[in-house]
Amino acid sequence: MASLDASLAKPIAKEAPRRRALGVSGVFLPRLLAGLAIVLVWEASVRAFLPAYVAKPSTVLLAIPKTVVDAAFLAATADTLGAVAQGLGIAVVIGTLVGLVIGRSPTADRMLRHYVNGFYAVPMIVILPLLSLWFGYTSATRLATIVYAAIFSIVVNVSDGARAVPREYMEVARSFRAQRLRGLFEIVLPAATPYFLAGIRLAAGRALIGAVVAEFFTAIGGLGYFILFMSRTFRHDEAFVGVALLAAFGVGVDVFVAWCTRRFLPWYRRDERSA
Amino acid sequence: MTESLRRHAPLLLSLAAGTALWEIAGRRASAAFLVPLSETLVRLWEIAASGQLWEQFVSSAALFLTGFALALAIGMPLGMLLARMRVLRVALEPYIMILYATPMVALIPFILSLMGFGFAPKALVVFLFAVFPVLYNTIEGARSIKPELIEVARSFRSSEWKLWCDVMVPYTLPFAMTGVRQAIGRGLVGMVAAEFFLSATGLGQLIMTAGQNFDTGGVFAAILVIGLIGVGLMRVGLMLEQRFARWRD
Repeated sequence: MASLDASLAKPIAKEAPRRRALGVSGVFLPRLLAGLAIVLVWEASVRAFLPAYVAKPSTVLLAIPKTVVDAAFLAATADTLGAVAQGLGIAVVIGTLVGLVIGRSPTADRMLRHYVNGFYAVPMIVILPLLSLWFGYTSATRLATIVYAAIFSIVVNVSDGARAVPREYMEVARSFRAQRLRGLFEIVLPAATPYFLAGIRLAAGRALIGAVVAEFFTAIGGLGYFILFMSRTFRHDEAFVGVALLAAFGVGVDVFVAWCTRRFLPWYRRDERSA
Repeated sequence: MTESLRRHAPLLLSLAAGTALWEIAGRRASAAFLVPLSETLVRLWEIAASGQLWEQFVSSAALFLTGFALALAIGMPLGMLLARMRVLRVALEPYIMILYATPMVALIPFILSLMGFGFAPKALVVFLFAVFPVLYNTIEGARSIKPELIEVARSFRSSEWKLWCDVMVPYTLPFAMTGVRQAIGRGLVGMVAAEFFLSATGLGQLIMTAGQNFDTGGVFAAILVIGLIGVGLMRVGLMLEQRFARWRD
């Protein structure tokens, strides 16, 4: 017991002084300075070399209060984020089911894997012209693009997770005569949760790109179209507020998923960005 | 023989089923919606025979390779440099993470109005799509270098140059390869996005014009080509990753 304690204590003792050396100010100060430097270089270079309408920190900052109360901006934001949420929802439900089946059934795996990998590797944006032929220049095209963009990363990750479930778990379930379906939803799905979360993280990023691309392409409105329209009419500052919001959403999802993984699956460590 | 047949039977069956499904659905559906596989292949042959396909492929490949090579040339050394210079890394990490999570497509309208329609803005789009996965994963790899390795190298009075050649680069490469694989996928999206939304050239143009002419067969043919390129490049990325993954751990 003592030797175990000692071996546990060792890496911690080694880690501690390094952590302390950084400290809060050691992290915060360089970051603040770097942020200031980026803002200054950006501001100065736009002022020196580029026309006045180009977005720079000072004017973007001034544009924020005006833009965030702008009814058109709010409607566009709600429109895009609503579509992303809806598309992600569809992709999560279908993708998880398909992923579970592929992960647990070798036959389904051999039959479907190549299609999933194939569709996953197709750059999602190329199917836009096809989707707009099918659904017209409507919000259905955007929804379909979002679902297509998001679903395959969920299928791939959930099936990886379902495959990685320890054999013992399934054996125990079988010895207690659990039904196959219950085993799927009560053992495989929870065990695959870390993979599932990693898939959501990727899917959310791709869904956001899909939404913006579809709005550029079909001009149906939404945040992507807002950015396009504003930058075309030389109101780059307002457009940039839209970009910042998209970035915030992307970062927000990343942070939220990372937090969920740490909070609810503290035993789990894996390179979440691997796919 | 029978064993391998049994193993591959589901795959062959599913490929046959997929082909048949496409063919039958294509014949039953209106030609504006879905074109059967056979007609798609005929259309593909026409586009290829006219020399158009090759021309557009070369144009797209030049765009992709330029942006991608820039992303590698800047992302990998910068990532290792940031890993070596601790203060700089700590300072810049959050901003790199933000840019990694930002959907780069949203920047295309700005690039358009600042740089116009030429080759450079399009290569910039591919670069922006591809560089952050490389940068992010290289930093991630380089920061996980065991301090002992560097300490040992130092105690043997290794020069900074030698340290990079023998420790930093070999240790980081497998991680960077994960970034390279992601960058291939993202770079392809960037390539098509640039061809769609900046000036129509390359394979993107092939799809766009086919779509605008309601030439569904042409759309399918072009999607098939880009899809196959995507699958092929993904394979290459995976192979690279696995080739270097043996060093890891």
